[in-house]
Amino acid sequence: MSNATHDPATLAEPALRTVVFRIERKQRAAADGSGGWGEYEVPVKGHTTVVDALEWIKNHLDATLLFRHSCHHGSCGTCGMIINGVQKLACTTNVIELVAAAEEAGTDTTIEVRPLQTMTHIGDLAVDPTPLFDHFPVGASYLRPSEANKKAEIPEEIDHYVRFENCIECGLCVSACPVVAIRGFMAPAPLAAYNREIDKRPERADQLLPEVDSDEGVWGCDRHLNCSAVCPTGVYPAKHIAMLQKKIQKRRDG
Amino acid sequence: MSHGHVVVIGGGGTGAAIVHDLVLRGFTATLVERGELTSGTTGRHHGQLHSGARYAVGDREIARECMDEVRTLQRIAPEALEMNYGLFIALTDEDVAFAPTFVEACEESTIPTREIPVEQALRMEPNVNPAIKKAVQVPDGTIDAWRLPLHFFATAKHNGADIRTFTEVVEILSAGSAVTGVRVRDLATDREYEIKADMVVSATGAWAEKVARLGGIHIPVTPGPGTMVAVRKRLNNMVISHLHPAGDGDIVVPQRGLSIIGSTQWKTDDPDTVEVPKADIDYLVKRASDLIPVFSETPIHAAWSASRPLAGASSNVEDGRKMSRDFIAIDHGTSDNLKGLISIIGGKATVLRAMGEKTVDMICSLFGVEEPCQTAETPLLPHRAFYNSRLAVRPQEVSL
Repeated sequence: MSNATHDPATLAEPALRTVVFRIERKQRAAADGSGGWGEYEVPVKGHTTVVDALEWIKNHLDATLLFRHSCHHGSCGTCGMIINGVQKLACTTNVIELVAAAEEAGTDTTIEVRPLQTMTHIGDLAVDPTPLFDHFPVGASYLRPSEANKKAEIPEEIDHYVRFENCIECGLCVSACPVVAIRGFMAPAPLAAYNREIDKRPERADQLLPEVDSDEGVWGCDRHLNCSAVCPTGVYPAKHIAMLQKKIQKRRDG
Repeated sequence: MSHGHVVVIGGGGTGAAIVHDLVLRGFTATLVERGELTSGTTGRHHGQLHSGARYAVGDREIARECMDEVRTLQRIAPEALEMNYGLFIALTDEDVAFAPTFVEACEESTIPTREIPVEQALRMEPNVNPAIKKAVQVPDGTIDAWRLPLHFFATAKHNGADIRTFTEVVEILSAGSAVTGVRVRDLATDREYEIKADMVVSATGAWAEKVARLGGIHIPVTPGPGTMVAVRKRLNNMVISHLHPAGDGDIVVPQRGLSIIGSTQWKTDDPDTVEVPKADIDYLVKRASDLIPVFSETPIHAAWSASRPLAGASSNVEDGRKMSRDFIAIDHGTSDNLKGLISIIGGKATVLRAMGEKTVDMICSLFGVEEPCQTAETPLLPHRAFYNSRLAVRPQEVSL
């Protein structure tokens, strides 16, 4: 690859401002008397994301900070966190936009970051997502037809353009669901995966619908719709739960 | 009976393929990663599944290896790929003049090409620059940069590999001139402990020099970060590449609901402190718009940089066996008088399985065991099986 474009001077581009991050670090509380929170001043630029800021803290202020991250573009789903009280992906959350929103609302511009609830805590902001996968359907395909440029001609080697499912299994919906917090519930993302699978392979309906036809399944949803509000990839899990309910009802009626 | 215990350092694509291959060939394997899996370079890949067409003019051997691995991955991990093919598009007369060289190089590398009439190419990809002068189709595609490695990790774990994240190697242990294991710190608990091993493999790419230093060895590796930019709309289904000698910012890879332009490249000293230069973002968006004009009018979803490893010159790198044209395995027993330590540097996401195969071939020969590689014929488990063994069923295996 050529190296023609890069002017190293641009790396030294000045920060726009300094932003304070307040990060929940429960396991450090007993050790250092910090009350379980760490505060860090981070220089940010116009395009700095929360995950960029966390990396900066880890590299410049405190190497012990734990958090999950991988793709840095909202595709892997590993960097879900609670940022200023809302479930978000750290890698697609812009810091300056958060600060601007706080200033407009006349509130503190400190950015508060906590780990996702409902997963197994590893340390600081890092969680083990294993509980998220408790209720996914067995053998569900992760591919779907692509809806981009719908009338486009296709290469003769394939039947249709395909793409990965929208759901990136980040767990934001599960963490935001008030039902998950109070009683046994299969949770939004796994239920959405059931509906997607049945839509793609209707021949699996007989096998899969009974698995979600219970109070822990689709009838457990209280329609708070928090799942759809926080979903970073437009899955709208609540819509899929409602569609599963309709499919079950239609079967009973028919 | 196990042939021995191998500790793999680094949970990227290379480590994933090595640990999967090791357990299939009868080794006991432990993989340690200081963060989440694929949190270094692998996960930040722009996601192109390379037919090899991009490399064919420069290096037919690399191109052929890519094409072989595309065919293999389609068999063993179809659910980790968006296999929609790619178009190389010519924008200038110079590009058109380059086309025969390109097509010939692809053919010599076993990459099937087909010239697509311009009108048809624009029907296949309506957002492509309408001024294109030529289009050539190749078997490119898209990888899920997190879920493809996770297929390997899931299968390795199912077959008995021990995979430990948030576990950082703090020392490479040795007795005399032989490695005996690693000392690691569990970053969640700050507890340090030793893992005994018959061999240690550093699959840490841009971090290989930092890790080798823990064993008192110097490897010159220069981190070569590159920037990528994603826009918040899927503008294309096929991978769109500029039909010219490979350069910066000349590929737009579709993925899920996004289109991604990659990439730039520069050099740095520390792979950990790489930031995204604003100038790169502006440059890449401009280049993407040459290929797909609407790219510059589409909201930016994310911009990020990834540290790729560039191997420098020194005696141990020159001694390193060139496993492929672009990846090197250094047996430090030969080059640095420290037996039982191997460093892997370089490679590409598309050829991760082949890198695993060649590395484990080298490990087998150092152990003096003969076990054939099976990874090209072994279908991988779905990515979700990494977290739940109940989900270790491939979609095509579902019984109705």
